[in-house]
Amino acid sequence: MADIGRVRIRIPSSIKPGEVIKVRVLVMHPMEIVERKDGKPVDKNYHFINRVVVTYGGREIAQFETSQSVSENPFFSFAVRATEPGPLKVTFLDTHGGKYEGTADIKFT
Amino acid sequence: MKRSITRRAALRALGWLGASGFAAMLAPKTRFALAQGNLASLGPEEGVDATVKRLFAGRPIKDGASVIKLDLPLIAENGAVVPVAVEVTSPQTPQSYVKSIYIIADKNRRPLNAKFNLTPATGLAYVGTNLRLGESTDVRAVAEMSDGTLLAAKREVKVTVGGCGG
Repeated sequence: MADIGRVRIRIPSSIKPGEVIKVRVLVMHPMEIVERKDGKPVDKNYHFINRVVVTYGGREIAQFETSQSVSENPFFSFAVRATEPGPLKVTFLDTHGGKYEGTADIKFT
Repeated sequence: MKRSITRRAALRALGWLGASGFAAMLAPKTRFALAQGNLASLGPEEGVDATVKRLFAGRPIKDGASVIKLDLPLIAENGAVVPVAVEVTSPQTPQSYVKSIYIIADKNRRPLNAKFNLTPATGLAYVGTNLRLGESTDVRAVAEMSDGTLLAAKREVKVTVGGCGG
């Protein structure tokens, strides 16, 4: 469980200014699913990621609302128009107050 | 491709994780009393029609099969990890862009899988993730444009082994 919250971000190795790049990001997380007892769901504070925030150069460019119907160790991919060099940060927030971040630097070659 | 995670960085990160885990154990549990992962805060268990009605309140949903590229396997051997990718072939300009992409699995207990809110800065309305699917089901992607237009595309996935729950 010590691995929870490890984030891996992949961006293309060479990026041209103005290019639309695809970013892939993975986070280690159990994404607990609803337990059932006698056919009834058990009420407890399930541990899963419910919000993902993507910022680029300090500005929020995308925000995902996720549920338990996203796989364990969730993977997301999305596009970004690389307009300027700067940090691309992906923040994952889970229902237990956890906050996991991963950053990739967008640089032009 | 450049390896961005060196062994040194990984070890340091692991060290930090260990330390923070220890700190979390010491911290009083009451700090996390706010249970936002309890049943009440999850989407309700409902049929897909109810979900669509709840999300879009009866707004007309146009067929967007020509502009939405929904990439899904025909047969998913493992329902716990079903890769999906949605691309809307419409330019992301500040005047007109895809505001949100909803991914809905018809036969999941809670059909809304994820909602992706995008801005024009993304350059391309493209999102991908891995879904959990309980059984063979239609998966739909609904794109909400900045002017409120709703477009939908649908594909069926056959699931061999269900991804339980969802």
